[in-house]
Amino acid sequence: MTSDRGSVLMICALFLAAVACRGHTFDKKVAQLLREEPENIKCFAERMRDLTCFWEEGESRNSSLHQYTFTYTYQYRNENSSACEVFEMPMLAARGRRLFYSRLPRIEFFAQLHLCVFRGGRELYNRSLFIDQVFLLDPPANVTVVKTGQRGQLNVTWLPPALKYMDDSMMYEVRYAMEGNPMRKETVKATTKLTLRGLQSSSKYKVFVRVKPDGITYNGYWSAWSDPAFGTTPPSDLDPVIVVLVLVIILIFFLLILFVLVYHRKSLLKKLWPDIPSPEHKFPGLFSVYKGDFQEWLGHSNSSTRPIHAFTEELPSPLEVLSETSLAAPLPNHLSPPRPATTPRATGLLREDSDTTEQGEEPLQSRDMDAGLLDRWKEPPHTHWLMEQLRALQKHPQALSQSSLLESQDTYVTLNQNSQHAKEEGRQEDDILEESLPLQALFASGDTSLSAASHSDLGSLQQSSGSGRLSSQSSFEYPNHTWPPKGPGYTYMAVADSGVSMDYSPMSSSMGKGVVYANEYILGHRRPLSGQQVHS
Amino acid sequence: MGNRRGHGRGDEDPVRDYADSEMEIPRLFALLLIVLEWTRPGLPSPLRPICDLRVLDHFIKEARDAEATMRVCKEDCSIGVPLMVPLTRVDIGVWEKKNMAEQAQEVQTGLWLLNRAFISLHTSISNSALHSHIDASVRNIASIGQVLRSLSIQDYVPTVSGIDLQETWQVSSAPELFQVHINFLRGKVRLLLANAPVCKQEVS
Repeated sequence: MTSDRGSVLMICALFLAAVACRGHTFDKKVAQLLREEPENIKCFAERMRDLTCFWEEGESRNSSLHQYTFTYTYQYRNENSSACEVFEMPMLAARGRRLFYSRLPRIEFFAQLHLCVFRGGRELYNRSLFIDQVFLLDPPANVTVVKTGQRGQLNVTWLPPALKYMDDSMMYEVRYAMEGNPMRKETVKATTKLTLRGLQSSSKYKVFVRVKPDGITYNGYWSAWSDPAFGTTPPSDLDPVIVVLVLVIILIFFLLILFVLVYHRKSLLKKLWPDIPSPEHKFPGLFSVYKGDFQEWLGHSNSSTRPIHAFTEELPSPLEVLSETSLAAPLPNHLSPPRPATTPRATGLLREDSDTTEQGEEPLQSRDMDAGLLDRWKEPPHTHWLMEQLRALQKHPQALSQSSLLESQDTYVTLNQNSQHAKEEGRQEDDILEESLPLQALFASGDTSLSAASHSDLGSLQQSSGSGRLSSQSSFEYPNHTWPPKGPGYTYMAVADSGVSMDYSPMSSSMGKGVVYANEYILGHRRPLSGQQVHS
Repeated sequence: MGNRRGHGRGDEDPVRDYADSEMEIPRLFALLLIVLEWTRPGLPSPLRPICDLRVLDHFIKEARDAEATMRVCKEDCSIGVPLMVPLTRVDIGVWEKKNMAEQAQEVQTGLWLLNRAFISLHTSISNSALHSHIDASVRNIASIGQVLRSLSIQDYVPTVSGIDLQETWQVSSAPELFQVHINFLRGKVRLLLANAPVCKQEVS
């Protein structure tokens, strides 16, 4: 008993020297357990050789070290407990607390140990524990971080604690983070390497490792974190699969566009490079058969395909005129002289005004004038006749006016086909013609045509030498000639649409209440025009 | 059937060849050998060594669960007669000095003692819930025996007189017994299994 006690004390003293060399690690562990362990007597085993227990005293009472007694006993032994030397650590002196510790030299695992601290003979603390359950190991050493072959991965390896019998009972925790990022933790068991996955490329990572017994056979506290180890992840290279896929997609798009272009090339070409429209399709055979000879083509084509539809409207349409009165020759005689003096009737084929003013006794004549362009014409044998008639009309407006006087209520106008007249009228006609040549636009071809027309069937329309003057409107001025009335045949007048709108409404023989509006147009500056309404 | 050709042999089965009749005896002989091998008396064929200590960890966890259950039972779990149980303490220095055979003997003696103690407990305690734990512990002890055998450790059955009493102590309650069981498994048994030479040979 005493020999045991003596040997124990000696061994305790031997460890005193070792304690001084322990240094920094020991202090750190003590500090850690001070935080973590709630028991009064805090114990930990660093290796499988010894157990260190310590307690702190908060009392400011200046108690001597020798007052304390630290005893331990194993449960299975039914003998008195043994005591171990108590030492003091100066580390907590600043906080006003004192730290005392003791170390058991020979420890036995897997047996319950009872510990007691006495101060001055009175029990201060006690605790029962298993030594194999209070391990506080050193942190793992030689933590290395290396690159694996793949991107975003790092291999972490470390050395296990050099403890026999315990190497397969260890649990490790790896903590790693990039600069400034939160830490990520991973736990591994029974292995001393770990592959970190899901890391960013080309980044520097800091790795810590700590160790603890796994708790099945041995147990303890988490060790302190190891010294940091740094590793840099490899740069991410372009994944060849992704490159190939992107190329395939581009190729597919290209083929799609090509296909669309080829398939719709015609419509696309039409939109981008439209054809110049050509009227060839309207003239079947003109260019292919007749080589552009229009006359021949006209001659050979049947009427159904005649494309000159534009003239259909202008073709003289037969107008049936019902005339009840015969055309009296003398009527216009007295009308013609005052005619030039009157305001010109440069209305669209209407010349009511002057007529009414002049011949009050013949109001009907104005109505006749209102007939507009209804003249009695011969049926034109040819389309060119139309032009000639119109030209003649132009030259001899007074002739037309005269014809109006011949009629009564009827709305037809006959043109004097005799050759004309008086040179005294020529001047006025000239003036009139100059101003009011409505259809001169049609006849801009020249004076010669007009002169030729003067001798046409149309009658004595004096040619105006200055037929260059165009007026915006067309009007007919009936020449002041009288012409022998034609028979009760139909006379026709073809009016070419010279682009000027002319309103003329056929008036029935019953002379209803037609209202005729005459176009107003400006005749230049000489004679103001007046448009009128004529009420029949 | 219509295609059957007439053979010289007539009704004989055309599959059977003349060589088959000669092979019949070797066939029977091979079959006989196989059967005898299975039913060979004596030591069974060596088991594959169980070096994975997770088996033992499983037993330890089960024992822990049982001990946790036992902790709450106080009155029902007391035993009249103290039970002899092995010492669970391990002094590493002392343990390392022993050889393999001594260690094995120590372990097997302890297992035998525990087995006996559990059986005694089973008869003492009437609580059926505890019985299940006791039975599980007994089964686990038997399994550990199998594990030891797989590691080529000879069976050792101690005699009552041959037991070193210094290596035993006595418990008087069921929780204590289970505690001893746990500690024994964690300590000596594990140390023995971890250092079995058969397993070390495989590793190296």
